[in-house]
Amino acid sequence: MPAWFTPNRETWLFRVNPALKFMIFVLLLLFTLFTRNLAFVSWLAVLFGILLYGFSGYPIRKLALLSIPLIISFASSAFTMMLFGKGDTVIWQWGLFKISEESIQHGLLLGTKSLTFGFVGFTFLLTVQPVLFFYAMMQQFRLPSKYAYSFIASIRLLPVVVEEIQVRSNALKVRGITFSRGMKGWGERIQAYAVPLFAQSIRRAQRIAIAMEAKQYQMGAARTYFYPTSYSRMDVVFIGVISVSIASVSMVAFVMN
Amino acid sequence: MKTAITHHREAAFSMTKLRLKFPGEETLLFKDLSFSVRKGEKVLLLGPSGCGKSTLLQVASGIVPNSFELPMKAEALELPDSWGFVFQDPDTQFCMPYVDEELAFVLENLNVPREEMQVLIVASLERVGLHLTDLHTPILELSQGMKQRLALASVLLMEPEVLFLDEPSALLDPEGTKQIWTSIQAATAEQTVVIVEHKIEQIAEWIDRVVLFTDDGKIAADGPPDSIFKDYKEELIRYGIWYPGVWDDYLNSKVFKTLSENRSSTSTVEVLHAEEFNGYRGKKSVIHVPSASIRQGSWVTILGENGSGKSSLLLSLMQLLKTSGALQVNGEPIVQKKRRKTLPAGLSLVFQNPELQFVTNSITDELTISLMSVSSTEANHHAEEMIELFNLPVSGNRHPYQLSVGQKRRLSVATALTSSTDILLLDEPTFGQDARNTFGMLEKLESLRRNGMTIVMVTHDLEIASHFATDIWTVSDGELVSCTRKGGVADARLVYA
Repeated sequence: MPAWFTPNRETWLFRVNPALKFMIFVLLLLFTLFTRNLAFVSWLAVLFGILLYGFSGYPIRKLALLSIPLIISFASSAFTMMLFGKGDTVIWQWGLFKISEESIQHGLLLGTKSLTFGFVGFTFLLTVQPVLFFYAMMQQFRLPSKYAYSFIASIRLLPVVVEEIQVRSNALKVRGITFSRGMKGWGERIQAYAVPLFAQSIRRAQRIAIAMEAKQYQMGAARTYFYPTSYSRMDVVFIGVISVSIASVSMVAFVMN
Repeated sequence: MKTAITHHREAAFSMTKLRLKFPGEETLLFKDLSFSVRKGEKVLLLGPSGCGKSTLLQVASGIVPNSFELPMKAEALELPDSWGFVFQDPDTQFCMPYVDEELAFVLENLNVPREEMQVLIVASLERVGLHLTDLHTPILELSQGMKQRLALASVLLMEPEVLFLDEPSALLDPEGTKQIWTSIQAATAEQTVVIVEHKIEQIAEWIDRVVLFTDDGKIAADGPPDSIFKDYKEELIRYGIWYPGVWDDYLNSKVFKTLSENRSSTSTVEVLHAEEFNGYRGKKSVIHVPSASIRQGSWVTILGENGSGKSSLLLSLMQLLKTSGALQVNGEPIVQKKRRKTLPAGLSLVFQNPELQFVTNSITDELTISLMSVSSTEANHHAEEMIELFNLPVSGNRHPYQLSVGQKRRLSVATALTSSTDILLLDEPTFGQDARNTFGMLEKLESLRRNGMTIVMVTHDLEIASHFATDIWTVSDGELVSCTRKGGVADARLVYA
């Protein structure tokens, strides 16, 4: 799986300080969340679409595949809002469904926002190396090292957990365990998987914690860094690109209106 | 010269009248235990599982109570200034994804400047004999033996005076075991080394002193290895230690002689036959069987290196992987389906980790859950039989997770034995077990075999292959390369090479 997440080429986005990139993307998400201007959010979606498709360094085929859930979430949130949203200028009504001008507006806004979130999220996740991100968070944003290393350790354990889920699923088949249909079956499934997997994970987490302390890791102690991270010219470029795009998008959206 | 000697006489660490108990347990694990180790000494702690050897290492290093709190007190406790600890499980010692990052983690903790790190990292890997072409190698790609050597390298970076080793080779195959002990011996000539381990063949010559513990955490004997191995053999057998020569003693024992007497020759009925059979993970074939068959009542051991496809072979036979080619079980051809809800009748599989196979909250329920079709009295009778046959706690109400390591393994085998099981597939059922549990398991399997069961078992242990198997299969690079009938020692060595 990690091989799948290797880009074709490392674009300039990779050279931006990962912690700074994270902070700016979080700001952008908040910004998107609180905007109510459809034109503005739509332009933002286009902007981040360009950023993701043009500058993440991944082939279009993979990006298109990743975009499927985004399109689905766009469609589902937009249509739900359109069909059930409140509004006075009714265009079409049938039973519970009521489409109004306002609900179309809200639906599109909601859908576009979720699309923007998706684009921003993927642009970040695809262009960052987790280990470097946490090193930068420790060095540039003073994230306590205990959080950084626990996150790194848990990423390392993900493949192990995936493998255990496979073994559990095979073992349940061998034991002849079958599940009921429908919701009840899902409840049974969760129970059958959760207990043994949690038991394994808790034990593993405790062992790793003790091993880390045995390697003289101390919370809050002064430490050096194997990957020194700092700000570079690329960060200036990044902030510049983002500010200019946001400014021009605002111009188009607000002033032209 | 004189200072060197006095230096050597100093204690590396010592404890006087240590008392310690686990919360919720009624009795003390240690009651007034006094123990000390001299500088430079190589000490091996032996004893039955649960006697507190590992806890003693944790007290001596300060992990208990600093990282892990237990109620304890001692009259005097002198701990080493610097120490390193290598744990049993190769998969839970690292927090970073790559080799160089993991070693750097230690150096970061020690506040070593970045410029000095590279040299130290290279030197530490050199010291344990771990030669990697690229330092930035994912730890996931290392073999278990290499992971343990990496763990050793990372603790050596702390330049510890005392090295604590808690069963560092318990979860390694024979090759990995050899590697880690070779590295330890080469790298720690100067240090004080305190070892807890059941598999001691590799180090019996190297250690200076053996301390033998009793079930209740007292020291039964303390002295040079030769005399302990000679005078306390009965205890070593009882505690399940893999002492040097344990197989020879077992082969000469009454139990084994009775087992091997008139070992019934297997019947000529084929219970399983595979022809141009492939197992796939994704689109890739991970195991190819040109042609193989298994006779009823035979004991097939599958040998091969890590990652060669042994486990995949079991999963493919069980139809848990996608397969192609011909496979017959009990004369019935198995139809390959894309998504199957039920597995081929007659086959059952025991995985390595018992806990992932338990599905209920009590031993009795575990043993009766697959017996839907029979009456409850009959089912309970079956459970009682199994409990007796597999030496499980008589009270079947215990939760499977509360059993000891050996009991969990035995229960996982017992759960696989339903009335319809003719062929039992096992993935390293004796792996990581002490000698007593291993022989116990082998005897159980042999008695099942005598009653007509067919055993197919993956193992790394050549002794098992040569003394218990009727057939030896060798897997190499995703291919079943040889099927040898009736293997003696020579045969096993030959096909494994």
